[in-house]
Amino acid sequence: MTAIRLDNLSAGYDRHPAVVGLSGTFASASLTAVVGPNGSGKSTLLKALAGHCQPLGGRIDRGGLKPSEIAYLPQAHGLDLKFPVTLADLVGFGFMGRRGLFSAYDKNDRERLSALMAQVGLEGLERRPIGSVSGGQLQRALFARVMAQDAKLVLLDEPFNGIDARAAEDLAQLMAAWPEQGRTVIAVLHDLDLVRRLCPQSLLLARQAVTWGPNPDAVSPEQLTRARKLAESWNQSDEPSAAALAPHEHA
Amino acid sequence: MSPDVMTLMALKSAAAGAVALAFGGAPLGVLMIARRLSLMGDALSHGILPGVAIAFLVAGRDPVALTVGALAAGLIVAGLSSLLARTGKLPDDASFAIFYLTALALGVLLLGKAGRADELEHLLFGSSEALDAGGLMLAGAAASATLIGLALFLRGVLGEGADPLFMRTLGARFGLPHLLLMLLLALNLVAGFRAFGALMTVALMTVPAAAARFWAKGYGGQAAVAVAISAASGLAGLMLADLWRVEPGAVMTLCAALSFGVSALAGTNGGLLQTWLAKAHLRGLKA
Repeated sequence: MTAIRLDNLSAGYDRHPAVVGLSGTFASASLTAVVGPNGSGKSTLLKALAGHCQPLGGRIDRGGLKPSEIAYLPQAHGLDLKFPVTLADLVGFGFMGRRGLFSAYDKNDRERLSALMAQVGLEGLERRPIGSVSGGQLQRALFARVMAQDAKLVLLDEPFNGIDARAAEDLAQLMAAWPEQGRTVIAVLHDLDLVRRLCPQSLLLARQAVTWGPNPDAVSPEQLTRARKLAESWNQSDEPSAAALAPHEHA
Repeated sequence: MSPDVMTLMALKSAAAGAVALAFGGAPLGVLMIARRLSLMGDALSHGILPGVAIAFLVAGRDPVALTVGALAAGLIVAGLSSLLARTGKLPDDASFAIFYLTALALGVLLLGKAGRADELEHLLFGSSEALDAGGLMLAGAAASATLIGLALFLRGVLGEGADPLFMRTLGARFGLPHLLLMLLLALNLVAGFRAFGALMTVALMTVPAAAARFWAKGYGGQAAVAVAISAASGLAGLMLADLWRVEPGAVMTLCAALSFGVSALAGTNGGLLQTWLAKAHLRGLKA
């Protein structure tokens, strides 16, 4: 199965760790929200999990997953919006990991593609160039591409950014059903209401794990305050203050 | 045979070569422009010079040696600049510029040292010796390889162009389309350079592709329009050059530039006239 184990993981850029000494397990077929203040290392953690940056220390055990079995939706897409491809092309690229480079799509794929477009509310926009749709529509197409990848590990970095509330709710409901299909889902989310309603557990991050456990306790107001203070102390120096590190009395 | 018949046959062979190069080069040109790599063509066209110069110094005007030298140098430049681009420290165009300037300098030095500076002009702008049978076969082979390669890998090539980060996530082998693009580009360039000159061959790849942007939205449409414009410019350029008794490469390029001007003005996909008319229409609505 596809449990993801972290062993004393540190990750970051140019030797400035954004995530420090993180140990724990994302259970197989689970949905975990990654929550934390700005600059707390959420995106860096996802990048490291996706294999886009090498750990500075420690290790990640992905249980032997191949790159094509991991779907990663980064916070900022790297799309060239002037490139002459359509929304359907974009979503269809998701099949490539499994189909390989000589990918001729069969009837199944084409049916699946229309189903995906409908699921994310993009029916009728299949043939529109990627540069001619709104940011929210593009984000929905990228979400559909993640679904097309049919991956065992799904990493989403603020997947509902720029999407209107109703569409975001629809997509979040889709996401919440993925663990039942055997997928392990790790999502950076800002909407705490969404986190409490749909995610069984959270990793509250402030460069290190503040809490990592079941909701709603993991994202209680006290813990969030603690995370903010810890993150601020990290930002002021490259070491956290002893006070912020001390276990919280009311936790 | 009378001189007239000879000229006619040479012209026919050149025409066939120009059409073949249109089928090979123009679809690549569309991709290069879409990927903002139009400079890559220039880079490769200069990049082949040292290889050609060395081949020329070793084997003289032997066509096989020239072709092999050009292909080898083109692949080296393409490979090295892709490698440099991978470091991500420089924009793609800068890494190409570095290699093509170096290669140009090296080519000029080599040919100058051998006292054959006139060859440089032939290499860049073409020479009056029209395509021979071997050159024609090479052009045909380059066109076939391009069309087959694109047919097999089109989805990968488009995916790599639209979202390179995503393709890298899928695994290392998904970098192959980029390599294929480079290979095909080098092949087409080498096929074109002896008759029409390296610079002019690049022009017949990129200028029609730029014009095609004003007529079609999708890749397929743009590629088809680009092939048509490239072939038409090539043929018209050959005939005019024959009429005016000048080298064909430059005339072909100017014909392509003329088509570009017409396309930019009258194109149905965001041409200038269309944009102006739409603005005038909006003003009419406001009034």
